Amino acid sequence: MPTPLPRRLALAVLLAAAGPGRADPPADHWAWKRPARPPVPAGAAHPIDAFVRAKLKDAGLTPAPPASREQLIRRVTFDLHGLPPTPEEVDAFVKDTAADAWEKVVDRLLASPRYGERWARHWLDIARYADTNGYEFDEPRPDAWRFRDYVVRSFNADKPYDRFVTEQLAGDEAFPGDPDAVVATGFNLLGPDMTDSADQAQRRYNTLTDMTDTAGLAFLGLTVTCARCHDHKFEPITQADYFRLQAFFTPAAFRKDVPVATAAEKAKHEAAATEYARLTKDLRDAVAAIEAPVRQRLYEAKLAKLSVDAQAAHRTPPEKRDGGQLELVAETERKVVVTDAEVAKAIPAADQARLAELQKQLKLFDAKKPAPPPVAMGLTDRPGPPAKTHLLGRGDLKSPSDEVRPGFPEVLTGGKAVDAKVEALPASTGRRLALARWVASADNPLTARVVVNRLWQHHFGRGIVATASDFGLRGERPTHPELLDWLAREFADRGWSLKTMHRLMLTSETYRQSTRVSPEAAAKDPDNHLVSRMNRLRLEGEAVRDTLLAVSGRLNPKAGGPGVVLPETARASGGARPVSATADAQEHLRRSVYLFSRRNLRHPFLEAFDLPDSNLSCSRRERSTTAPQALALLNADEAMAAAKATADRVAKEAATEAGRVDRAYRLILGRPPSAKEAERATAFLCLSPLSELCRALFNLNEFVYLD
Amino acid sequence: MAVIPPDRRAFLRDAGCGFGSLALAALLAEDGLVAADAAAPDPLAPKKPHHEPTAKRVIFLFMSGGPSHVDTWDPKPELTRLHGEKLPASFGPVKTRRGVDKNKLLASKRTFKKHGQSGTEVSDWFPHTAGCVDDICVLRGCHGDSVTHPESVYLVNTGSILMGRPSLGAWATYGLGTENRNMPAFVVMPDPGGWPKGGAPAWGNGFLPATYQGTVVRGGAAPIQHLPTPPGVTAEQQRRTLDFVAEGNREHLAARGGDTELAARIAAYELAFRMQAHAPEVVDLAKETAETKGLYGLDRPETAEFGTRCLLARRMVERGVRFVQLYCGDTGGWDAHSDLDANHGKLCLQSDKPVAGLLTDLKRRGLLKDTLVVWGGEFGRTPMTEGANGRDHNPHGFTMWLAGGGVKGGQVIGATDPIGLRAADGKAHANDLHATILHLLGFNHKKLTFRHNGRSERLTDNGGEVIDAALA
Repeated sequence: MPTPLPRRLALAVLLAAAGPGRADPPADHWAWKRPARPPVPAGAAHPIDAFVRAKLKDAGLTPAPPASREQLIRRVTFDLHGLPPTPEEVDAFVKDTAADAWEKVVDRLLASPRYGERWARHWLDIARYADTNGYEFDEPRPDAWRFRDYVVRSFNADKPYDRFVTEQLAGDEAFPGDPDAVVATGFNLLGPDMTDSADQAQRRYNTLTDMTDTAGLAFLGLTVTCARCHDHKFEPITQADYFRLQAFFTPAAFRKDVPVATAAEKAKHEAAATEYARLTKDLRDAVAAIEAPVRQRLYEAKLAKLSVDAQAAHRTPPEKRDGGQLELVAETERKVVVTDAEVAKAIPAADQARLAELQKQLKLFDAKKPAPPPVAMGLTDRPGPPAKTHLLGRGDLKSPSDEVRPGFPEVLTGGKAVDAKVEALPASTGRRLALARWVASADNPLTARVVVNRLWQHHFGRGIVATASDFGLRGERPTHPELLDWLAREFADRGWSLKTMHRLMLTSETYRQSTRVSPEAAAKDPDNHLVSRMNRLRLEGEAVRDTLLAVSGRLNPKAGGPGVVLPETARASGGARPVSATADAQEHLRRSVYLFSRRNLRHPFLEAFDLPDSNLSCSRRERSTTAPQALALLNADEAMAAAKATADRVAKEAATEAGRVDRAYRLILGRPPSAKEAERATAFLCLSPLSELCRALFNLNEFVYLD
Repeated sequence: MAVIPPDRRAFLRDAGCGFGSLALAALLAEDGLVAADAAAPDPLAPKKPHHEPTAKRVIFLFMSGGPSHVDTWDPKPELTRLHGEKLPASFGPVKTRRGVDKNKLLASKRTFKKHGQSGTEVSDWFPHTAGCVDDICVLRGCHGDSVTHPESVYLVNTGSILMGRPSLGAWATYGLGTENRNMPAFVVMPDPGGWPKGGAPAWGNGFLPATYQGTVVRGGAAPIQHLPTPPGVTAEQQRRTLDFVAEGNREHLAARGGDTELAARIAAYELAFRMQAHAPEVVDLAKETAETKGLYGLDRPETAEFGTRCLLARRMVERGVRFVQLYCGDTGGWDAHSDLDANHGKLCLQSDKPVAGLLTDLKRRGLLKDTLVVWGGEFGRTPMTEGANGRDHNPHGFTMWLAGGGVKGGQVIGATDPIGLRAADGKAHANDLHATILHLLGFNHKKLTFRHNGRSERLTDNGGEVIDAALA
């Protein structure tokens, strides 16, 4: 159990919490009410400092002194980029005497594309992102990465959060014709999917359930899951509320093939395709005349080796196959694949020369062959009147009862069941757009609070509400309710700009405090709920891996595109579909956010560092300290390769041993060694190579914990 | 940035009243001892469960692919009598994976005999295991929720057909911690031929901290991932490097007022070093006698592989590993859609002697009394034939068994209908099995909970009844 807390306090709080009357009456809960804009307390220039210090003052505490400049630039660079500052960036900031030196650093970091790569990962955790389907076959989702890139782009562009929300819930309805908005709706389909389910109606319902639950958690911090089977036991969410929420999604088709080419791209592609088809028609016909009968014969021969049932399954048109046949086909489809090589081998000798000549001629047109136009996972409403949504007894698809219409949880609409105002669109029901408008509104009591709290959590190490996806009665109460409300209002009033909020939080003195605990603070604020100091932040697995690559000078900064398949995730087991490892080894050195993420087999190094399971929305990562994690950073190829490459780099960049020790410390820990450390390192190097010094520094607590 | 852990208060509250109060009691008890020096947070430290357990550890023998109950543990004379006929209409519609409900009934070719003092009937495919029936509690009324492999693998392992929930082993280590910090607390040894359908999430941590997930362990010099020192680094160098790390970390900690998380990470490095030294010994069978090896069938090619893993399982539980899961059968495993005799004949031969050897060895070493052994797959197989000589998936009725760890052996609980199609009496769902296993480990399954996304989650979801008759 991950609970490093002073135990005396734990006891005291536990006993106190056992008492009655902890929560508001359910309907009166603070989070159901729209935040007011509280007055900023006096006593500090920065509003955040004013709110925090007012509470500190009440507790008889003063803020911690500021952290050192070296600590600060390391803290904020990891925070915004997930990468360390270079020694040169550290020096520049340490020496910058300008009054706005800090603001310049923050602005520089926010303007870099590394920011989006870093913060997209936080959202991908919430979005339960992975590049495969899971279950037995764990098939790759060839276009899932477009959603990942969409998130990176959105953060980098500082897309207003209300638009970001609207796009993900209803981009197809709100912004027809905008490819990004369609890609965004892929959010709803990112959960696991058993494609060959024996019960395809149940499969669709599972996906509907997953998207309803995830939307509640991600955007509203609302845990609606329990209410699917029965009125929520702890939250004022009824089963009818649940299915009214689900009804927004009911008309949607769950697609993997939504075209996302722009009109211009589409026109260009069609023209090119027509031209290619015209130019090559005779050649292709001639090739097919020779190949097709051979291919068909080989296919039939392979098919004949399968069981009678499997043959029948293959011969049944895909849309008519039942669950068992889908599984049979999935299990055997690779056995009936006829490769080009097999065809080539089986071509009658008499035809071979002519075929080779034809193919040679055809190849001359390859440059004119257009790539297929891009498609994405996403939602579009199915044509025709939407299927009815029924409240389901015990959440069971087989027990439909009353019909429900789309609407919002009663507790958030003044205690009355109100049908949502849905306006039909030309090609869509408009239901999800109605949901998006309600969610992405300054009047919604939850949306802005939830997202500013997420930002706060990542910057400060703990949310103002510690349960970041649970603002309900059973969630933690806010430590600073007025500050939370002030931030939420400020956020909506200032155009839902995330970068504005980052800047606001990072320029506070509260953020710039030292992590040092004074005896008074340790006694009165042992868990730092009052932010009487900065929490010691810890690097996640991605930041560790990316830093190993960056420090050793090997990080490939290429952005975007299909996920990079490392050899260790290419391997498949347990029936999972194999994928090919990305051939170009330079690609293997890209940032972790761009790695192909397999549902059934997490990347071992990242997994050791608490990479969450991608099957459920994750709002807060664990930070474990385990032996397997120590073994990974000590012994994994990732660590050893980084140690060697860093040693090579250091040897090149500094001529003397003292210089090399100094450089290694600056690169890896962002500071020069103390005299004592330099002495110890020099002694270490008598018996050990420089690469071992680098490996040791990578394994220090200081490397993964930030002051 | 990875955020700081949830409050201990929240944890204890979320852990449910019973567990929370016990944890509180444990805290109070420990308080005097450690007050001066706040204990490092160790998620795997041994913990006391709700009540005195009869099982301290578990070995789960998972028969991947779904073994046929009517050919192994559940004799059906009526099926023999009806051989070649269609399923009588009185059985109503039945859902199977491959739609075999209209196919003819297929009698078992096996011979069943009564064994032991209890007279439990076992087929001739398990001559060795049959010798252990007086320690075995056969559950013939098991049933599941899905006709597909991955969903059923997840159900039997995690209590839900949906992927992504924590596995039984993860819950057990979350609740109990482990007694051997030199080995992972929850060890999984998949079949070398391939993982079960559904893959690693079958032993995943789901929403529990990753610390509790199953660790894949293999035999040989590198039993655990990242365990061997990197190529080109000698053992002496590794020690020197670790010493340098330790010294740097101690100074760093001293300057930071005894931060318990930093202290915990220092401890993790010490543990990692011990694991490097210790784990290869755990998987080294050199010190086992020829007699013991023979007991597990290591001397015969058909039994050597699974026998080795069974022997490793004993060595691990002997050394305090909390939960060991072995998968018998590769990705296809026991999935005998055709030629059941050949498929099951081979797997029974491979597994019978090792399983019997394991039970016998555990018993003679005094380990069986507090080690629970679980045997079973994700479902059974249909009494109807598939093709000429196969059987389709049958989650409606099948057999699992329990032995040791406070289980009352020498008995059969539950029954399927006369042809073995559906569980009829003494029905046991995966939730019931899990409730029973947690009970044996000392937990009230309703109170072993973890707060996730606003819900106090538990292994048995909203179900689960302890199978009282199974308890000694």
